[in-house]
Amino acid sequence: MLLEWLARLHDWFRRDRLDAELREELRFHADRLEAEAAAAVGPDSVETQTASRRRLGNVTRIREEARDRWSWPWLEHILQDTHHTLRGLRRAPAFTLTVVLTLGLGIGANAAMFGLIDRLMFRPHPYLRAPSEVNRVYLQYTFQGETILNAGGHEYARFLDLARWTSSFSQHAGFTARTLPVGIGTETRERPVATVSGTFFSFFDAQPVAGRFFGPAEDTTPMGAPVAVLGYDYWQGGFGGSDVVGEMLRIQNLDYQIIGVAPRGFVGVAEGKAPDLFIPITTYAGSQAQNNDRRDYATGYNWGWMSILVRRNPGVSTAEASADLSTAYVRSWNAERELSPGTPPVETARPVAIAGPVRVTAGPSAGLESKTLLWVTGVAVVVLLIACANVINLMLARAVSRRRETAVRQALGVSRGRLLAQTVTESTILALLGGVAGVALAQWGGAALRGLYAEAGALDVVTDWRALGLAAAVTLVAGVATGVGSSLAAGHGDLTGSLKSGIRDGGGRRSGIRTGLLVFQTTLSVVLLIGAGLFVRSLDEVRSLRLGYDPDRILAATPNLRGAVLNPAEVRALGERLIAVSAAFPGVEAAALARGIPFWSENVTYLRVPGVDSVRRLGRFPYQTVTSDYFETMGTRILRGRPLEGTDREEAPRVAVVSEAMAAVLWPGREALGQCMYVGADTMPCTTVVGVAENAFQNSLTETQQDKYYLPMSQAGTGPPDALLIRITTDPETHAEALRAALQEEIPGDGYVTVQPFEDLIDAEQRAWRVGATLFAAFGGLALLVAAVGLYGVIAYSVAQRMHELGIRSALGARAANLVRLVVGQSVRLAGIGTLLGIGLALLGARWIQPLLFRQSATDPVVYGSVAAVLVGVALASSAAPALRATRADPNAALRSD
Amino acid sequence: MTPTPRRDLLPGTLDMLILRTLTLQPMHGYGIARHLRQISEEVIQVEEGSLYPALQRLRQKGWVTAAWGTSPNNQRARYYTITTAGRKHLGQAEAGFAELIDAIHRILKPA
Repeated sequence: MLLEWLARLHDWFRRDRLDAELREELRFHADRLEAEAAAAVGPDSVETQTASRRRLGNVTRIREEARDRWSWPWLEHILQDTHHTLRGLRRAPAFTLTVVLTLGLGIGANAAMFGLIDRLMFRPHPYLRAPSEVNRVYLQYTFQGETILNAGGHEYARFLDLARWTSSFSQHAGFTARTLPVGIGTETRERPVATVSGTFFSFFDAQPVAGRFFGPAEDTTPMGAPVAVLGYDYWQGGFGGSDVVGEMLRIQNLDYQIIGVAPRGFVGVAEGKAPDLFIPITTYAGSQAQNNDRRDYATGYNWGWMSILVRRNPGVSTAEASADLSTAYVRSWNAERELSPGTPPVETARPVAIAGPVRVTAGPSAGLESKTLLWVTGVAVVVLLIACANVINLMLARAVSRRRETAVRQALGVSRGRLLAQTVTESTILALLGGVAGVALAQWGGAALRGLYAEAGALDVVTDWRALGLAAAVTLVAGVATGVGSSLAAGHGDLTGSLKSGIRDGGGRRSGIRTGLLVFQTTLSVVLLIGAGLFVRSLDEVRSLRLGYDPDRILAATPNLRGAVLNPAEVRALGERLIAVSAAFPGVEAAALARGIPFWSENVTYLRVPGVDSVRRLGRFPYQTVTSDYFETMGTRILRGRPLEGTDREEAPRVAVVSEAMAAVLWPGREALGQCMYVGADTMPCTTVVGVAENAFQNSLTETQQDKYYLPMSQAGTGPPDALLIRITTDPETHAEALRAALQEEIPGDGYVTVQPFEDLIDAEQRAWRVGATLFAAFGGLALLVAAVGLYGVIAYSVAQRMHELGIRSALGARAANLVRLVVGQSVRLAGIGTLLGIGLALLGARWIQPLLFRQSATDPVVYGSVAAVLVGVALASSAAPALRATRADPNAALRSD
Repeated sequence: MTPTPRRDLLPGTLDMLILRTLTLQPMHGYGIARHLRQISEEVIQVEEGSLYPALQRLRQKGWVTAAWGTSPNNQRARYYTITTAGRKHLGQAEAGFAELIDAIHRILKPA
């Protein structure tokens, strides 16, 4: 069948030659028939000729019939229409450019957004075999009335339990993404390392490009084999693609042998950065075992650190898989309770397991950011709708001005179907041009989106077939929709009427449809602008929020000793040296060590306050241990009393600073200063509150409780500090490297230090709102622009149509001001209706957008009012030029023409 | 010489007749027409020109191929050759046709 069509197509291209050949064949046939007849009857008789002619039949009809075999009427029509369209578009460059740009913006916005969310949420990982069978295991439990859902952070013993006690899966693997020091001495760099089970690689259809992958035999508890597989890019970039199999590589504090190289593009199931290295998960876990709570990681439940991947058996649904996992999880929970009786019982913890999407961003625990992104993608679709409405409007204007031409053609017998085909051809060609513009815009926009989403990688729409496919599909839909839409809206004109009258009268119904489309556009633009306004104000709120510290101009330096163990005295000495080095660095105001730093880690310990029954019931009360200059370094204000000072040594009386919120909760209506707390254990001496600090955010910008306290590191020195915090008066970014080099000299052995701006931690927290504000504002602006163009088009067109009427009005004594009011009034009225509808729609949607906003009401009258004002302004501006033209309506011309 | 009564062709049988004819040897259009006339003893009457659109169709379906050659009396003529696919189709068409004719026979001459 396909071959036959190909043959026909081939014949179509050589149809002239086939025609000639057929003619020759028929002549040959006629010749032979004549010769035959001549032999039978005698030459030259009339009978001979007629007999042979009758035998052959009607040659013209035969040729036509044969020609049908190699002609494609509809293809020829398309070519003809294309030719016609291109000629028409060349004659109307302003129309063409407007339509192409409008559609380009719509298509581009969708291609770029689709490319982004596809990468972040939907696209299966490269090489993953049968991705629809593969799930990540999410575990959920209830603690103190709060439901906690984890995509990772599971215990290795739990992983073994779930593998052992389920029957729905053919494959299980554990995995984590770690950032680990790789290399020796000054060559050491922190690199992304995936620690994975020996079964991990068999989830994929990947073959190593050199050497081999590791398997279950090298992934054994308590400690796997020290073998490593290189990521392709690291192999190319770090080793120049040389033969590395068999070489040794130090990762953290262990030497690994390189046994293979993963193929190009293989990232495992990483989200974001592709791993440079893959190592057996038990080798990594075993190498952490000097840490007490990690020693029995394969049998105990103290260390939650990994994620779980499973492949369902054929025919097992995710619901069945989740049920199976949940049963095993309950059993595992009880096993944990036997080991540590402090674990709450199953009845209150209600452990539940879910077989969910591999990508966390698409899973049940996805955060605010994923939701915001999906909303913005919806917004891109709305932009496309607006663009299509606008194009239909512009095409209608064109159709109206070509009404006579269309009527003449209809009168000449061109069918309605052909006319529709022509309109659709025109709109499809416009959409294709728009699609090309859109892909170019998406490519450019992809680079901009990368600023917001570095982990999406280069968003190269031009080479990304999924995004390109979407752009192509959107283009075709837009082309057909605008073509059919404008044909339907143009309706069946009164043929004779159109033939008779001039182009003067626009026709009420058609302008009604155009007005409707315009109102539709305005409505959607208003909704988007309101969304943009809400997100921008939300971001403002986030930015102006007093965090309880000044995060700018703070650097966080983190020493990493690569597993080398220092005794407490050595730790303290190192800390003092680091503080001294940074204090001597030019531009440094203050430096302090801290553990339990906001957005970094949190520590909670036993706390009892005399006179308070159950402290636990009143809050979480995380604490931070700090050295003396902490409050100065962070810029946290002390409201009453004093900060922690250098004199608060180990042997001095125990002291603490509490947050304002904590003081209010524990000692309501009383002075907190001088109060006594028992920290760590009842047997410890009393810790006296010496200061009250302002509230500070600890874990998230949306948290409502800020009940924390601060202890001197010298008195409560449990474990090494998280980081050295350094307040610097100069630009932190530019001095980070020099400071790092200075600190590095103090680090013993193979250790190293990293330095990063503290603000980066908070930036990540603010991203959801930043993304919302940026993208909503960009798309809202686009929508407004498109709507303004539409408004201008409709008003300008209606002025052109009413020139005659305006002329008569002028002749009857209307002043310029009256005419201006007439035109501007029409524009403002249209914009007003759209604005009211848009506001109504936004109020309806407010409920859903509210959770995405930060301390900002989704029905904020300021935002709604400003958007309305902007729309009126746009209506005035876009009707200014047409209004001016209206005042030039010539009464003479109007009177003379009738 | 009494004129032989001429019969119209059953629809759909022309393709089959052409293909069957071409199983003998490659032929030009005129040759095919003459063969049909002679074998059927002038009973089957086709407008000989209608062979040509049919031949184009068969060529596009891949059942015959066409090539220019020289006729015995040194005229340029287009020769058609049946392909393997053509033979296969012919087999199926003939089987179907035989069944049909059988059925018609049974109806016309009930035993």
